[in-house]
Amino acid sequence: MGALIAAVVVLLLGAAACLLPVANRVRVACGLVSQTLATALVLTAVVPVLLGGVPVAGELPWAYPMGTMRVRLDALGAFFLVWSMPLTLLGSIYAVGYFRAYFDSPRHLGWHFALFNLTSLSFVLVYPGDHALLFLLGWETAAIAAWLLVIWDYTNQKVRFAGFNYLVSTHLGLIFIVAAFMVLYAHTLSWDLLSFGDWLRSHPGAERNLVFLLLVTSFALKSAFFPFHSWLPRAHAAAPAHVSALMSGVIHKAGLYALVRVLLLIGTPDAWMGWFLVGFSVLSAVIGALYTVGQRDLKRLLGYSSTENVGIAGIGFGVGCLGLAWHSAPLVALGFAGGLLHVLNHAFFKCQLFYAAGAVYRAVHTVDVERLGGLLRLMPWTALSFLLGGVAISGLPPLNGFTSEFVIYSGLFSGEPIGVWARVALAVGAAALAFVGAVSAFSITRAFGVVFLGRARDPSVPVGHEMNGWMLVPMAVHGVAVVLLGVMPFLGFALVREATSLALTTLPGAGTGVLPRLEAALTRVGLMSGALVLAVAALVWFFRRASSRPAAASATWGCGYDAPTARMQYTGSSFSADLQSRVGGVVLTMRRLKAPTGYFPVDSYLLTACVDAVERRLFAVIANGDASANELSGALREDDPRIAFAAALIAVVIMAGLVVPVGGALQ
Amino acid sequence: MSALLGAVHIAIALTMPVLLVGIVNRTKARSAGRKGPGLAQLAWDLRRLLMKAPVYSTTSSPLFAAGAWVVLAASLLAALVAPILGDSAPLRFDYDFILFAYALGLARLFLMLSAMDVGSAFEGMGAAREGLFTVAIEPALFFLIGAATLATGQASFAGLLGQWHHATSFPWLAVPAVAVLFALLQAEAARLPVDDPQTHLELTMVHEVMLLDHSGPGLAAMQYAAALKMTIYAGLIASLVNPFDLRGNPAPAVLFALVTMVGVGVAVGCVESLIARMRLRAVPGYLVLASLTAAACLGVAGWLSRMP
Repeated sequence: MGALIAAVVVLLLGAAACLLPVANRVRVACGLVSQTLATALVLTAVVPVLLGGVPVAGELPWAYPMGTMRVRLDALGAFFLVWSMPLTLLGSIYAVGYFRAYFDSPRHLGWHFALFNLTSLSFVLVYPGDHALLFLLGWETAAIAAWLLVIWDYTNQKVRFAGFNYLVSTHLGLIFIVAAFMVLYAHTLSWDLLSFGDWLRSHPGAERNLVFLLLVTSFALKSAFFPFHSWLPRAHAAAPAHVSALMSGVIHKAGLYALVRVLLLIGTPDAWMGWFLVGFSVLSAVIGALYTVGQRDLKRLLGYSSTENVGIAGIGFGVGCLGLAWHSAPLVALGFAGGLLHVLNHAFFKCQLFYAAGAVYRAVHTVDVERLGGLLRLMPWTALSFLLGGVAISGLPPLNGFTSEFVIYSGLFSGEPIGVWARVALAVGAAALAFVGAVSAFSITRAFGVVFLGRARDPSVPVGHEMNGWMLVPMAVHGVAVVLLGVMPFLGFALVREATSLALTTLPGAGTGVLPRLEAALTRVGLMSGALVLAVAALVWFFRRASSRPAAASATWGCGYDAPTARMQYTGSSFSADLQSRVGGVVLTMRRLKAPTGYFPVDSYLLTACVDAVERRLFAVIANGDASANELSGALREDDPRIAFAAALIAVVIMAGLVVPVGGALQ
Repeated sequence: MSALLGAVHIAIALTMPVLLVGIVNRTKARSAGRKGPGLAQLAWDLRRLLMKAPVYSTTSSPLFAAGAWVVLAASLLAALVAPILGDSAPLRFDYDFILFAYALGLARLFLMLSAMDVGSAFEGMGAAREGLFTVAIEPALFFLIGAATLATGQASFAGLLGQWHHATSFPWLAVPAVAVLFALLQAEAARLPVDDPQTHLELTMVHEVMLLDHSGPGLAAMQYAAALKMTIYAGLIASLVNPFDLRGNPAPAVLFALVTMVGVGVAVGCVESLIARMRLRAVPGYLVLASLTAAACLGVAGWLSRMP
């Protein structure tokens, strides 16, 4: 408890020091030092809890309306804190390299680093908080800090628009969460999450369902589930790379934390809640994955893949929720452990992909895949980093994405006695997950293949070069973590073990013996992955040694034509055109075509862009709202007797509907 | 006993690819009135390739050279997990089918990436098609596994396929399940009507076009991996229809598996002799149809296991 308070103080002092009127270097140093110190302080509190110790608890008396603030850091909050803080620190280190050019400029870098401190602060407030207002305070701090981080390049109107879009969405989410807390407060007269939990456990019914739906809507907006994701591609494309990375990988995981927390508070949720979560998450994963296929902007692509990956983690939590509803220990363990592992793994590989994309942006000043190519030779470490992240995000062995998807698949195929149609439905979910994996491998191949392989496509793009150490070190740390968590998944499992057993304690038998089995299975998966790595290394080594003659070099085969230009390479648009045209009902492609005319056409062009269907629909309704109302009233004629009759009928039905519930059935 | 079975499995998995390609080619030759190459022709081809020095495109990066070995290693791992004899596999554990599917996925990713690495439009086109076909067919395997889970209650790949024939749903589902696995074989091993391994027009190739710039040992690895994938899927069909208990009567079970795999090879050859490849735009539809058939299998398996 003392360590947590000290961390809050250090972070606030550090943020203040960042704003001092000194050189940018000193400000940044203040930010980094205070963050490192706070991270170390938090880790001293968190690690014992994760190793099975008692939760850190404490109380702080505070004035009305907060009342006594209770802090209770249990294994779930500890799990989220243990990686959120260090990864935010790594993001700040990356930012030093990313903003190197600004150090000697008049631009005030202190604000940016102060906001990182506030982001870390929000984690310390949200994850251990056992008090609704404290939770909201942290939630709101993260939202405002993320918004200000996104609009770093605020002179660009597009960036400001993306920022406001995000700000509006996140506050819509806040309305839902406040509504839910108001309902709960009205019943419990307390701001304690534990007393909310007591009420939720003992009052199943319509009101609990309402609270659940309000909260899920809010958390879905925070974590960018489909169809609440429309802010996400814009914000991720507009923000500096490390901000996109932290938002996608770390900050918005708070939505998933809150989801799991609510499920644990409910204790024994209804089965429909689990089905709702599974269905909602499958939809999110499938549509998020399909949207990654056609994106030209590398960071926008990665943004959509966040929607996909929160969907995958959500499938796990949905399965866990079903397990809680049906008192099935294996489902609870596989679902929650799989979901939490995926959250952890996603934080590592998604940040890594964004960092690599940011390095590309710094080197060549664009992330438009159609203009890039051949960066692997110029930026080998960045390319390796993107490749590792890409293989991991496709859920392929031997990297960490595979381990969490393995656990989630095991939950879907668990073979528990849960009824035939439930098992059929979960198997359909598994097939959808396989589809998502294939689509995600497709779009990662496209992104990596077009950007890093082949040759540079556009001579007007600057020649790439490798980044400085400040940017490479965070990428290297993430790369090592992605490999280690893949071949030694028990490391990741050690972090989620206590949080999963927290979920298991609500079951009658406490599900003893499930977790060791899961750990053994994960260790085996890690062994397989390690064997695969060794086999590849051995084959490469052997054939390099065995070949007596040196390899020859020649032009790429081009049907006998050996003077191809770089413009003749396959483009990202051509790569995805066929798949995109087959899912045109879900993924909109805007085409603007001016066809060539005459014998010597001069200005003809074709522009295609993959736009967000939800956002377009939203704006269409806003833009045409009046028009469609006018159309409707124009279509109705005032003197039509049927309208008067229908209006009277509706009035009678409403009146009857009001009278009957109040006065009982009519005699 | 199980060690012996594992050794037999590995021996068959390693040698059968050569034989199976020979059988397919021999069948096609016979039906065209030719004598055809020897059954072990692929082995001689591989030997010749292994002794050559590779030629790399000037555009390619180190990833290109490593790609072929990733493809081979991942396919070998999948071959160790896949049950080809019946209710047994050298690597067998709960939910091993996920490792199977995703190891093949890794192989495919590196196949596609090394195709993109040489900067050729043809190879990019082939990679895009391969990716699209996978998207269409990938759910099929998991639908089938879902059906097998309902029928058998097993959790390992070997148990699911090897014990399905005990279930009441088997007589109803055997034919569609074999059909789905056959479509998977055509898609994964790049056979007609999905892909024509003997076409010589770059614009219409899928798998072969991605190998255009591979040479020497790398090309050998890629060709062997493709043949291995055909063996794996032929083996999956064999273990699905194998009526013998591998632990009770190992000899007839292994013999039956071998005969079935040869039969699948003959069937592939017959299909390739009788029909032309599909129009490329129609192929995803064919594969989606296979996925939907597998989904229907899952539904029927659910409906049948609902009744006691």
